Amino acid sequence: MKRRGDEVGGYRLLTDPTNEGGANCMWAFAEKDGRQYFIKRFLEPKRPKDGSPANATARKLMLEECEEFEERHRSIMERLSHDMSGGGNLVLAVDLFHEGCTYYKVTERIETSSLEHPERLGSREKAILLRTLALSVQLLHGIDVVHGDLKPDNVLVQKKPGSPFHVAKLIDFDDSFISGRPPAREVIGGDQFFGAPEWRRYVQGDESVQPEHLTTATDVFALGLMIHYYLTGALPGHDDRFQFPADAVTAGEALRIDPRIGPVMTDMVRAMTARAPGARPDVAALLAALKDTDVCDLRSPAPTAEAPAARPSAGSARPAGSRVKKNLFGRIRGTPGGPGGTDGPDSPEGTEGTDSAETTGRTEPADPDRPTVSRVRINLPPPVDPGGRSPRTRGERR
Amino acid sequence: MTSNGQYQGSLQYAVDIVMCIDVTGSMHPVLGNVKKSALLFRDRLESVMHEKGKEISRLRLKVIAFRDFADYADDAIEQTDFLVFPEQAAVFDDFVGRLEADGGGDAPESGLEALALAINADWERGLDRRRHVIVMFTDAPAHPLGSPASTAAHTYPPNIPRSMDELSAQWGYGRSQTAVMDNAAKRLVLFAPDISPWTEISEEWSLAMHFPSKAGHGLEEFEMDEIINTIAYSL
Ligand SMILES: Nc1ncnc2c1ncn2[C@@H]1O[C@H](COP(=O)(O)OP(=O)(O)OP(=O)(O)O)[C@@H](O)[C@H]1O
Ligand SMILES: [Mg+2]
Repeated sequence: MKRRGDEVGGYRLLTDPTNEGGANCMWAFAEKDGRQYFIKRFLEPKRPKDGSPANATARKLMLEECEEFEERHRSIMERLSHDMSGGGNLVLAVDLFHEGCTYYKVTERIETSSLEHPERLGSREKAILLRTLALSVQLLHGIDVVHGDLKPDNVLVQKKPGSPFHVAKLIDFDDSFISGRPPAREVIGGDQFFGAPEWRRYVQGDESVQPEHLTTATDVFALGLMIHYYLTGALPGHDDRFQFPADAVTAGEALRIDPRIGPVMTDMVRAMTARAPGARPDVAALLAALKDTDVCDLRSPAPTAEAPAARPSAGSARPAGSRVKKNLFGRIRGTPGGPGGTDGPDSPEGTEGTDSAETTGRTEPADPDRPTVSRVRINLPPPVDPGGRSPRTRGERR
Repeated sequence: MTSNGQYQGSLQYAVDIVMCIDVTGSMHPVLGNVKKSALLFRDRLESVMHEKGKEISRLRLKVIAFRDFADYADDAIEQTDFLVFPEQAAVFDDFVGRLEADGGGDAPESGLEALALAINADWERGLDRRRHVIVMFTDAPAHPLGSPASTAAHTYPPNIPRSMDELSAQWGYGRSQTAVMDNAAKRLVLFAPDISPWTEISEEWSLAMHFPSKAGHGLEEFEMDEIINTIAYSL
């Protein structure tokens, strides 16, 4: 394995590869031509070793795996590149290649601010954060792509010095799939806390849930929970009998929405976390609601006769009865490393649906000096530049 | 899998870990650390899982301590069964506590034999989701499999592959027919120097992670977190 200072695919590693934050890859920050990148080393599939005497069948099967892997990544990439409007907050691959037996994927490096307490943002900031997130998800859903692993860990919250706004950058499309065509039950990605009821049942082998039942609505469920989290700092509560929100919903129990959330967002979160996928609204409805930033206001809860305990205790934003552990989202934090971000605009531009293509699939120019030892670059679709303006220009426009 | 209608509680998550530990003389300066980490491992894992609000339904650990068949057959491998935690924690602690860095002759050592035993261990097959992790701690290269000086040892285990190709086939890949372990569950974590065979394994085998020890420093330190990440971040 490479180390800091080594080069892979023309990228010089700035950090030692780590598996922090993931079970399915190793990653590092890297640099090329003065720009910084995030580089991910996939643990599988592996290319058959060049000139290995391994038998022909093994070789063939391994290459088949590799082709499927490339095809899956390419098809998602292609779909994403077709409509870049608003794509600036999707952190997409700029390079996918193999060197030796190993696949690597490169995205721009996102400098993140640590947002330990999203609930402390003002209503307007929250609305902007949520709109940038919702726009990214809407863009995916518009092309029938399910993110498949929506959770705060896969949202890098970015704030540029001088800008009052936090922008949500959506990462980790490795579990993405085409709506209705998820990976097999044993290998599908996702998270138990944010997973939708139908996803949980699919994973658990419930034959009444078939692949076609896993659609963009599974993302909507996760997004509903994330909204609650960004507004209050915690997930909705539920009866202690259940470990995860989806289980409570499956059992027909209502999630306990924090009473400080106003009626519009309460209804929105409730609808988004409905048991039946078909009953959940699409992201457009969320975006429409977020136009009015007041909907993100938290009010002081009126003490209710029957449930005074539902009032959040001091120092804790979570409703009593929630089983969500305090440290659950301790990972929402800045990424390690020094300055040198290569990121795109952090303006709330994205809230208008016109964010630039700054972070979208940009292929690197071929480098004739690059060592060519058994490295093959998979051609990603060419970058699309809506409006014919360079992303940089657009970023500087404001 | 789970019977219909039973959606309460978490997925049943089974975690099996095999720690292959080089206990030859050269490991002397670092074995203390490795042992300490092995002993603290369970508490650390538990607290990380707890922080994440997740649970392991069944945790088992197994230790394979290895030296060198070619040097001295009698103590080339010492191993435990899969020990169920917390019930058998005392057996684990006792075994690990008694490991001593000793013998082995010169490098290379019998690390590939230990790895082969680990791959062929009696991994959990039940429960909804499984994670099977092999961890290798060594500061040395390994004898090639099938080398006569090793296989001649009277303690040499039966059924050890006689070549690297054969061992690679046992590790397998996504759709291989020869893989012994559950592909979705398995991970290999190497704390080893950047030399043969460890470099090749981490490059050519799927699901392997190599955290190379710095040249000349042996296996000075490692982080349990790198093992824990392979468990805590799945699902
Ligand atoms: N573009 C980026 N810039 C900076 N940091 C990043 C970037 N992409 C990812 N990271 C960091 O690396 C970690 C791992 O990335 P990622 O989520 O893609 O890996 P993963 O192994 O696929 O994780 P998961 O277990 O969610 O599938 C993230 O949690 C994040 O902290
Ligand atoms: Mg991730």
